Amino acid sequence: MSSGTPLERRPVKLLIVDDSNIVRRRIERSQQFDDLQVVGTAANGFEALELARRTDPDLVTMDLTMPQMDGIECITQLVQLKPALRILVISALADKATAVEAMERGANGFLNKPFSDRQLNEAIAELMY
Amino acid sequence: MQFSGADRIRRLLTAAAGALLAALMALVLIVGFRLATRIRANVALLQRASLLQTYPSVLSQQLTALRERLGTLEYTGGVHQELADSVAGFDRNLAALERRPGVDRPVLRAAGHLWKAYAPVLAPVLAYSGEPYSDTDFGSSLSVSGKIYYTQVRRAELFAQSSAPALHRRLAALSAALQKRTSSAASRLRLLLSAGVLAVLLLGAAAAYLQLARSRGERAARAAEEQTRDILHTVREGLFLLDADYRIGTVWSQALTHLFGREDFAGLSFEELLRDKVSPATLATATKYIKLLWGERAHENLMKSINPLGQLEVMLDNGRGGKETHYLQFNFHRVLGQQGVKHVLCTVADITSNVMLARELHEAQESAHSQIDMMVSMLHSDPLQVGGFLDTAAAGLKHVNAILKEPARSHAEFSRKLTGLSRELHSIKGEASALNLMSIAQRVHHLEDMVEELKGKSELTGNDFLPVVLKLDELLAHLRAVREVILRLSTLKDGTSSPDGTLSSPILRLRGAERASGADELAATLQGLARKLAEDHGKPFNLSLEGLEAVPAAYLPTVKDCLIQMLRNAAVHGIEPDAVRRAGSKSATGLVRAQFRRLESGCELVFEDDGAGLSPETLKEAAVRKQLLTEEQAAELDNRSALALIFKPGFSTRTEVSMDAGRGTGMDVVAKAVYALGGRIGVSTHPGRFTRFKIALPAPSQTAVA
Repeated sequence: MSSGTPLERRPVKLLIVDDSNIVRRRIERSQQFDDLQVVGTAANGFEALELARRTDPDLVTMDLTMPQMDGIECITQLVQLKPALRILVISALADKATAVEAMERGANGFLNKPFSDRQLNEAIAELMY
Repeated sequence: MQFSGADRIRRLLTAAAGALLAALMALVLIVGFRLATRIRANVALLQRASLLQTYPSVLSQQLTALRERLGTLEYTGGVHQELADSVAGFDRNLAALERRPGVDRPVLRAAGHLWKAYAPVLAPVLAYSGEPYSDTDFGSSLSVSGKIYYTQVRRAELFAQSSAPALHRRLAALSAALQKRTSSAASRLRLLLSAGVLAVLLLGAAAAYLQLARSRGERAARAAEEQTRDILHTVREGLFLLDADYRIGTVWSQALTHLFGREDFAGLSFEELLRDKVSPATLATATKYIKLLWGERAHENLMKSINPLGQLEVMLDNGRGGKETHYLQFNFHRVLGQQGVKHVLCTVADITSNVMLARELHEAQESAHSQIDMMVSMLHSDPLQVGGFLDTAAAGLKHVNAILKEPARSHAEFSRKLTGLSRELHSIKGEASALNLMSIAQRVHHLEDMVEELKGKSELTGNDFLPVVLKLDELLAHLRAVREVILRLSTLKDGTSSPDGTLSSPILRLRGAERASGADELAATLQGLARKLAEDHGKPFNLSLEGLEAVPAAYLPTVKDCLIQMLRNAAVHGIEPDAVRRAGSKSATGLVRAQFRRLESGCELVFEDDGAGLSPETLKEAAVRKQLLTEEQAAELDNRSALALIFKPGFSTRTEVSMDAGRGTGMDVVAKAVYALGGRIGVSTHPGRFTRFKIALPAPSQTAVA
């Protein structure tokens, strides 16, 4: 699938949101796209919003269970802030109700933890390219 | 029926051709009508012209006849009148022709000129009105005027004879011209009619073709419709389309009727379809999900992965008036049109058997794991204990078999059988779980379940016990397998014993060394069970054992059974969860104490826990619920008698059955065993503080029980 605007020329700016340092590093290391540029990592919803304002990302990977502000709330606010933003939810919450809720709030994709490198790259590719 | 673009064009062309032919027909009719009118007019003119053509010779003949009559002195009046009529007729007809269009004017004019030349000679003849004859005695003769009349007639006759051919020629030419015109109009009409006939034939052919094409199309549509119906009737999945209002379309597969037990699907909303089948939370999620399917963010794969209705547990009618749990799988496929999503195709499949299969597979795996666990636990357990247990269990199961074989006819006999079975099984289960032989304990638990189910039945026959017998066989086979494992393990250990002959493994100790004392074995079993119970029920407690070494060998099996049962009761009923304990300002860890003492009069076993204690009211309620007492009886019961209820067979205060308690068999086993040794059992309690059992047994030498 291609998104509305051609993105081939400009690098895709990625913001990683997860309260686990290990998961953040894992995502950062595992993505295999040359033109994907990690512009920030956030450990909770507040940080994510702050970073999104500053760095203007194209893509956000979003954890759902986080301290202070959870993923669902953060997605709602991010979509208001930047409607064209693409959000990939990466969560250990396997129940379908949560996934549907996230999609309804404006997420574009859903990936279950634990995930393989291939699954992550496919999910990103599906959203951005 | 579908209309392709080509089909539509063909229909348009046929319609245009039809319209053209119809217009052509109208034209043919109008022109033909006009031609016919003209021909009719021409024919009238032709008649007149033909009539006119005869006049010159008629005039000549009439003049000749008039002259001859004058010559023979005959009556001339009639001929004179005829001549006058002819002249008038000629004038009239000529004038009529002059007024009509389509007549050859020059010829007519020439004929007119020739006719006008007649006038001077005819006028005196016509003007004569006297008497042409004079009669005398000598006969008749022409009078004077008669002679003049004769001369004039003669002159006119001569003129007419000389002029008639020319006039006749002119008039014949006039007729011929008219005839030519008429015949050309007639041939045009003929041509037109031919064209009309051709057009009619073409129109008929076009209509026939159209009809043929339509009936062929209709036949194809009917066949397609029939195929669709066959598919929808035969397919085992429920199939339907949802529109943008999330409502079901007019076409759906027959399987839906069976799956949802209704017929009124057309126009039914998806929410309505699921409402009484699923929980409100699931319904809300499903509704949101369906809405997402219409959105642009819904990638097929993503939507499939978050489908909340992939495995939906629903209660369906089983066709015999009852309900059955089924698992339904909903799949959604978006049907795209030119303006995005047109419909969502929904398929519903009953995947109950798949789910059950997966579950069985899972259980089989679990059971395989548990067998491995069992072997590992056996490696770590005291083989002496396990061996002892296997002997006891085998004996117990033999007893069970004997009970099963007892003939029974009345309900009371069956009930007694079942109570006996329960008691025996319960005791085997207790020992198995004390030794951590969970694979055995679980099997016995299943057997107990089956027996409980039988107890609930109002009517029993021998056949009802068949499944129990089968399950029992399975259990015996399992026990044999366990014994086999133990044997192999010990053989293995024998083969690997160290060269200097020292005994390093428990199994070797079992075989070669002196037996561990019964009291130590009992203490180890009880401590093991206590740890397990504390862990299983999440209630930490310590078990303190005193004086077990003083238990006479003859009492050891009974004391063991009683302690196991009371320990389980203490863990399940007595000790409270630590939150409750803390709230009651008790120490979080509970205490259970067993003390055996030899007294002068015999022996005493005291067993107590610092748990919740027994409530006479709760015991009474349970007894009423179990139908051991009527409410009236319960109301009359004093506290002491209420406490004694726990020794009644079939009594339990637990509403749900767990591995350790709740079947209502327990304290009655203890009491029975104590009575069998000639002993007594008593209970004292204080709500919220303790429960204490005191068992008094006679001195061992005084009894014959071994």
